[in-house]
This record gives sequence, structure tokens and C-alpha cells, in this order.
Amino acid sequence: MVYMMYCLLFGLVVGLAAVASNPSPYFAALGLVLVAGMGCGVLVGHGGSFLSLILFLIYLGGMLVVFAYSAALAAEPYPEGWGSWPVLGLAVGYLVGVGVAAGMVMGGWYQESWMVCDEFGEFSMLRGDISGVAMMYSSGGGLLITGAWVLLLTLFVVLELTRGMGRGALRAV
Amino acid sequence: MNPYILATLLFGLGLGTTITFASSHWLFAWMGLEINTLAIIPLMAQSHHPRAVEATTKYFLAQATAAAMLLFASISNAWLSGQWDIHQMSHPLPTTLITLALALKIGLAPLHTWMPEVLQGLDLTTGLILSTWQKLAPFCLLLQVQPANATLLLVLGITSTLVGGWGGLNQTQLRKILAYSSIAHLGWMILVLQFSPSLTFLTLLVYFIMTFSLFISFKISNATNINTLATSWAKAPALTSIIPLILLSLGGLPPLTGFLPKWLILQELTKQDLAPLATVAALSALLSLFFYLRLSYAMTLTMTPNNLTATLPWRLPSLQTTLPLAIASSATICLLPLAPATAALFTW
Amino acid sequence: MTPAHFAFSSTFMLGLAGLAFHRTHLLSALLCLEGMMLSLFIALALWTLQLDSTNFASSPMILLAFSACEASAGLALLVATARTHGTDRLQSLNLLQC
Repeated sequence: MVYMMYCLLFGLVVGLAAVASNPSPYFAALGLVLVAGMGCGVLVGHGGSFLSLILFLIYLGGMLVVFAYSAALAAEPYPEGWGSWPVLGLAVGYLVGVGVAAGMVMGGWYQESWMVCDEFGEFSMLRGDISGVAMMYSSGGGLLITGAWVLLLTLFVVLELTRGMGRGALRAV
Repeated sequence: MNPYILATLLFGLGLGTTITFASSHWLFAWMGLEINTLAIIPLMAQSHHPRAVEATTKYFLAQATAAAMLLFASISNAWLSGQWDIHQMSHPLPTTLITLALALKIGLAPLHTWMPEVLQGLDLTTGLILSTWQKLAPFCLLLQVQPANATLLLVLGITSTLVGGWGGLNQTQLRKILAYSSIAHLGWMILVLQFSPSLTFLTLLVYFIMTFSLFISFKISNATNINTLATSWAKAPALTSIIPLILLSLGGLPPLTGFLPKWLILQELTKQDLAPLATVAALSALLSLFFYLRLSYAMTLTMTPNNLTATLPWRLPSLQTTLPLAIASSATICLLPLAPATAALFTW
Repeated sequence: MTPAHFAFSSTFMLGLAGLAFHRTHLLSALLCLEGMMLSLFIALALWTLQLDSTNFASSPMILLAFSACEASAGLALLVATARTHGTDRLQSLNLLQC
């Protein structure tokens, strides 16, 4: 289990280095998929299965579809993947930088971090994160209302930014 | 823009700042800042002009980065010390990161480069909101965080005053000059932040009053660069004689209000044995004073040759409301005799 | 510093470096921003889970909602920029320099 978690955390870092090394947007979106998948794995390993499910559904279901669509808007004739030299060099450089930083803090690592959320998970009906998220509907009501209101505000923001007869996204060609 | 949407967006601006004011928890402070950023974006891009859209994009990138850095620093703080309170930041690393993130948010000197470009792309009303109301929430957080490193704030402040002075020297566009003046004033506030937060607050308030009257008067005379200032005597003669006083007040000349914060800040810095720093700051005010003086010269002391029809408009009644300008400009010009009262008001 | 702390710190810093240094496309910048928010989500969720704190479990959800708002505003700006400038390359955003 410990090795599994190490592999997942390593995948997280590698995936973000792949996103940050300036490839074409298609490949960067692919790297973000990898990062989100690894993040789901890390959360499951820590016992947060509900949060992991949320991350999986929201990210891979919602946001990355939109990003893939927008990548089509920003298309270019000769996309640069990780096979091309500048991108590969940057990715390797970033990973080396992270490795050096890891070597510097390696001595101070302590190993108490692999405990899971519910220690007596076999005896309880609900995981800790499920009941925690459900508390948003009782005592965290103000937070819920604020979040919903911000989503409404964002709807207006998006519509207002892309609106218009001759220039908007919803235009008659 | 539809008035309902406009009302929603303005409510969002107010709500974001209020949430940040009311919160003692970093997550809520971050939420307030995000709401603020989201709500002003359509207001900035409402003309859908390429320059407006570009300014909005730059503003969004800078603000989103700053907000993410702020949240990263507070989560790191929670990992290191288990503490989410704004008042109880103990670890130096997150505190420094938060100071830098807030400096990026309000546009302090090494991180200021978005500010003149963004302000140049907006109309004057949105620019006014951007340079006054949008600064309130980050400043409220800056006032609450105890700085870990005294030198960091001093360096940020002195760089801002110098950059604000030097950057504005070469500009002919009024909005860029206003942006550099904002950077310089923010530098003065940051210089004194760790010694006397109430003085910072006083400076912020006085800066708001001064910049409000300047933006409103530029809006009434419909000026966006120095050339149009020169012909403004034909539109509003009274305004033409008031604007130089407002400009000199921003520059900080003695009988006007703008002298008050600079005076108190220099006194406070000298009290803290920072006389060389105070000297550099006072000298950097001269740089700002140069371009304020140039604006005053172009506006009042030169008289452009106008043809007969162009000199007529001052006879027509003005259609814009001038009451806020009247109040703000009189406060800008003659608040200095009230200095003991204001100083007493802001000592807590 | 635990390995998880190091992992999310380094992912955040990688995203920040990508956002700061590589600015070919606006969409790349937005993706880096999204990667930063993703690492923050993981950090907040792991903090909640490790401290076994039930009350905090809803804060990652709020973070996710806000980052979705930010991402959608960024994508709307991408569309608006592509309409006005014809491309999403950040080099073309040069109207305001002088």
C-alpha cells in the first residue's frame, strides 16, 4: 500500500511537470487527465472515497470535456507533444528540479501520514467524508448558498463575456 | 448591459469585499477575493473592445494567480501548524507567500506590471472601481497578517514608490499615469504598514478621496491623454482651475490634504530610526510630483488656440452629476487643518 | 514535511512555474491554473482526511466549485479573446503596451 501511494504521488508530480512544460493544449489537457486520475487514487488511498468520486466526476466528466472543446478552438497545425526536444527538455528539467528539492527535504520526512480517515471503518455505516459533505446541507447552509450564488454569478459572467450579435459565441454566421 | 445583470454584478462586488472583511478564516477570505474578481470581469469587458478584452484577460490571469498563491500559502500553513485563522499566522514561509500574493493582487512594485496596462484598457468609471474598491479586500488582509520579515515590506514599499515615480515620467496617457500614481501611493502605505497600521489606513482613505475626485473630474472633462486636457478649459472652466489643486494634493504639497499622510509617514519612519529610507521615499515623491506638475501645466497654464465653436460648450449646462465631485474635491483640497482630528480618529 | 505535503507543494510550484514562464497559448496558461487548483483540492482533501475532521470535508467541495467558476470565466475570456484578436496566442495581447 505504501509503495502504491508513493507511485501515485510520483505520478501526480510527473503529470503536472508534463502539463507545465509547455506542450500543445491537447497534450496539456491529457496531462491534466493523468493528474486528476492520480489525485483520485491518492484520495482513495487516504480513505476519502466520496471526495475522490466527486473529483473524478467533476473533473473528467465536466471540466476536461470543456477544455478539450476549447483546445479545438486553439488548434494549431503542428502540435508539439512530449516528443519534441524543447518540451522534453523542460519536462526533464522540471523533474530534476523537483528531485533536487526532494533530496534536500528527504531527511526530514516523517512517516505518520498513511493513516486513513476512519480507523474503525468496518463498524460504521458512512465514511467520514460523506457525512462531512452532508453537513453542508445542515450547519453549512450559508456556505452552500454562497457557492450556489457564485455559480449563478459565473453564469452571468460567461454569458456577458461571450454575448453579442457580431462578435459573440452565439452569433448568426 | 442589462440593469438586472449590472445589479447582480455590483452586488457581487460588494459581497466579495464584505465576506473578506468579515472573515477570520483563510478559506472565506479567499472566497471573498474570488467573488470580487469574478464580479468585476464583465464590467471591465463591457465595451467588448479588443483593448478592453485584453485588459480583462491580463487582470484575470494576475488575480487568479494571486488568489491561488494565497490559498496555497494558507493550506501550507494549515499543514504546518494546523491553524486557519488569519490572525494566528506563525510560520514565516506562508506569511511571506501571502504577503507576496497580496502584493501581486494590489500591484506593488516588483509585481506591478499588470496594473498600468489593465487600467489603460478600461473606461474611467471601471478604472475608478479597480483602483479604489478592489484594493480594499486585499488591504484588509494585509493589515491583519503580521509580517514575518520586516525587510520584505520595506523593500516592497520603497521599490513601489520609486517605480511609481519613474514609470509615470514618460507617459502621455492619463490612465497609465493614474496607475503609476496608484503604485506610488500603495508603496507609501506599505512602507509604514508594520509600524503603524492605523496610519496605513489613513493613507488609504486619503488616497481614495484624492483619486476619486481625479477620476471623476477626468470623466467629466472626458480626457484620456494630455492633449485633451489642454482643451478642457473650454468645457468646464471651474474644473480646470480645480484639477491642478487635486493633482498637487496627490503629489503631496503642504497646504493640501495629500501632504497629511506623507508627513505622518515620514515622521513615523524617522521615529523608527529609518531616516535614510525616509529620505529616499521623500525624494521619490519628487519624481511623482514632476508628472503631476506637467499635467497641471498642460491643463491650466497653457491655452490652446481653439476655434469659436469649440469654445462654446462651457455655456451649456452640464448633464453629469457633479455633487460627488464637489464633495470629494473639497475634501481633497482642504482636509489638512483637520489633521489632528483625523489622526485621532484612526488611532486605535 | 510529509511526502504528501511535498508532493502537493511541488505540483503547485510546477504549475506556477508553467504559468509564469511558458506563455505561448492562453489555453496553456488556463490549464496550468487548473492544475494549480487541482493540487490545492488534493491538498485540502488530504488535510481533512488526515486530521479526521468531518466538519472540514465540505471545504474541498467549495474549493472545487470556485475553481470551476474560475475556469469557466477563463474559458469565456478565451472565447472573447479569440473573437477580438483572432487567436489565443498571448503574444498578440500587445495593444496596451507603450
